[in-house]
Amino acid sequence: MSDGVVKILDGNTFVVSDEAGDIEASLTDPTGLFSFDTRFLSKWVLTINGQRLGALSVDDLQYFETRFFLVPGTGTVYIDAKLSVIRQRSVAAGFHEDLTILNHADKSVTLDIRIEAASDFADLFEVKDALKKKGTYSTSTRGGKLVLGYDRGPFSRATEISATKPARVDSEGLSFRVRVPAHGEWTTGLDVVTARLGGGQAPVKVADPARARARMARDLDRWISAAPRIECDWDALKNTYRRSLVDLAALRFSPPIAGGRSLPAAGLPWFMTMFGRDSIFTSLQALPFTPELAATTLRALGDWQGVRLDDFRDEDPGRILHEMRYGEMTAFEERPHSPYYGSVDATPLYVILLDEYELWTGDRAIVRELEIEARAALAWIDEYADIAGDTGYIWYKRRNEKTGLENQCWKDSWDSISYRDGSLPGFPRATCELQGYAYDAKVRGARLAREIWKDAELAAKLEAEAADLKRRFNRDYWVADGEYFALALDPDGRQVDALGSNNGHLLWSGIVDKTKAKAVARHLLGPRLFSGWGVRTLAEGEARYNPIGYHVGTVWPFDNSFVAWGLRRYGFKDEAAEIASGILEAAEFFDGRLPEAFGGYERSQTKYPVQYPTACSPQAWSTGAPLLLLRTMLGLEPQGEHLVVDPVLPQEIGHLELLDIPGRWGRIDAFGRGRVDVTKRLRSRR
Amino acid sequence: MAKPTPDPTERFFDAVAEFGYAPLLRKAEGTTRFEIVDGKRTSRWFVTANKGHLSVSRRGAGDPECAIRADKAIFEKIASGKLNAVAAVLRGDLAIEGDWRLLIWMQRLFPGQRPPRRTRTAGYARRRG
Repeated sequence: MSDGVVKILDGNTFVVSDEAGDIEASLTDPTGLFSFDTRFLSKWVLTINGQRLGALSVDDLQYFETRFFLVPGTGTVYIDAKLSVIRQRSVAAGFHEDLTILNHADKSVTLDIRIEAASDFADLFEVKDALKKKGTYSTSTRGGKLVLGYDRGPFSRATEISATKPARVDSEGLSFRVRVPAHGEWTTGLDVVTARLGGGQAPVKVADPARARARMARDLDRWISAAPRIECDWDALKNTYRRSLVDLAALRFSPPIAGGRSLPAAGLPWFMTMFGRDSIFTSLQALPFTPELAATTLRALGDWQGVRLDDFRDEDPGRILHEMRYGEMTAFEERPHSPYYGSVDATPLYVILLDEYELWTGDRAIVRELEIEARAALAWIDEYADIAGDTGYIWYKRRNEKTGLENQCWKDSWDSISYRDGSLPGFPRATCELQGYAYDAKVRGARLAREIWKDAELAAKLEAEAADLKRRFNRDYWVADGEYFALALDPDGRQVDALGSNNGHLLWSGIVDKTKAKAVARHLLGPRLFSGWGVRTLAEGEARYNPIGYHVGTVWPFDNSFVAWGLRRYGFKDEAAEIASGILEAAEFFDGRLPEAFGGYERSQTKYPVQYPTACSPQAWSTGAPLLLLRTMLGLEPQGEHLVVDPVLPQEIGHLELLDIPGRWGRIDAFGRGRVDVTKRLRSRR
Repeated sequence: MAKPTPDPTERFFDAVAEFGYAPLLRKAEGTTRFEIVDGKRTSRWFVTANKGHLSVSRRGAGDPECAIRADKAIFEKIASGKLNAVAAVLRGDLAIEGDWRLLIWMQRLFPGQRPPRRTRTAGYARRRG
């Protein structure tokens, strides 16, 4: 996303515009008003007396509301600074815009105000892949409204545009001829409403925009005040924390399936939808802060758990979904996202989240409520994920070879899994972190079975399987000459031997033999993986390493938060603090909002973290990263009915307090003081 | 005289009624009204879920929690697992009002598609040790 692009959102409805508030989208450009994965407005351009406007400033009032201050003229020389224009826009069932024109002159003026509007009704997939439309467009001007429509068989979408002041409406927009008195103002409201019609469906009921705004503002206040408070000497951390909470609030959405409850969507602009993996990771990160996200995620993903074998959707019984979409291509099954099940980590992660959620909240009822789903997820690991045939590992190979995903792990780009020499393995592939998640799911599943489902037999079986998996894994994946775990096994059972950040996830899962953990930690903080800001996805020196390669060298804040948690799990407290310090310092450069990924360049080389060119922002699991890092640094760990606090903090944090941490203990405060000198390692490297 | 063979829609609702208790639907609560349109004729079915216990009737009282309306041909494809209900809703082939979850839970009852070929590769055939 380029600079100067303003985004506001509510659930999966969002607006992306330029700094003047205008929208002029091309097919490949993700600007416009989007809702349910469809672009409902691709053009929205304001002119006064035929002239475009230039931005003086943009205020992000809330995540769902922005104010643009404008003057006529777009160049550096203002043609008429006697006028100023304010557009205040908020998202709710489309968007509402208050347009105000102020006349600063001592005589009245007559103005021609024009809003040009159009929609291409593109599916987000079409915007990503630049595809052509198959349906027909229509426009009508009924009752002072401009209605833009798109139809393809029973599929029908419409955008209704209206103004609160009388307007001349034509097929390309709205016009006003107004007289603004000396030192006076003129204002109108503009409403853009997205409607899904057809198939006998009633239009989606539109809430009163003003009430919707008030509701969202109240909800945000409640959200912030329910989360723990932070006190610390480092102002930037306070800012990052607040930014994370607000962005997390913004990224919540209520899919039609969730019964009015909300769960985290993955990210703006491409991923405002339910993703199994992202929703689970984000819920894990946010557990000590906003545990209700985890409960909704578990319920919603449980509702959609796979029940059948469906090659097109890569669905199996027990499998947790990968991605849900609502656009035209999904509707016509040109894409399998209704929903698509092509990820192999979401299913074991589901069990991990359920256990971790109970450990924090003591909510045994949900563990009983979701017993069938959790058992089905555990069964999936053995019955459906071992597609290479009785190997005892999770593998992936898509059955939908046309539109399914090739890489069904979190590093899902085409070249993410490679040998040291850069060559790519065939399919199926068994990436290492999947085995770690499977191990952890079995260990945690055993606890749930024994303590809550009262099924000692299942517990014993899972524990035996976990122990066996751990033993085999430490033998089959260990790259002896490099002292780390291979990225994956290839179809012949050979090691895909490149070094990647996946090793940190293995520590998090607990699958790593204690005797091997030190070597793994040394790599994670070593010069090949650690950039000074964070751990690179792929180590420097591997043939495919590229500091701005999506999964082959960039630093992912989400990845690092789990790496730090893993280090902490094996007792590497200082090392975890070092990673936390690097990522939180990077956050400062992004004004508290960590992008999806940034460049893997050596910190001493660039001095600031270089944002990955097309990174999504805000992105849920990047937003969650500072939260998990706070948990990790403070050493927060539920034990029975208590919360253990064991802080090991980087020096520059100074004093840190996290107050009112919710959980089965009620509310607890955690305090710590920074003592780890994180600059030592970096100094020694120069 | 033998009873005439029921049509696929009737067979489906008979099967739902015979399901009795469906553990996968134990969280579903409420009534879903199905309006199946066959030319000028509309037949109605009410499926009530109560903690996994399902009952079917041709008459309903009050407003259902979920209302579904579809052409008979479309509905029968969904009921036989040939058509995906969610895609049909997005397309506008299946109209739905109310709590979507009831449809998703109901879809769990629809028969699956053919089982896939198991993907097995030659090289790494057996678990070692």
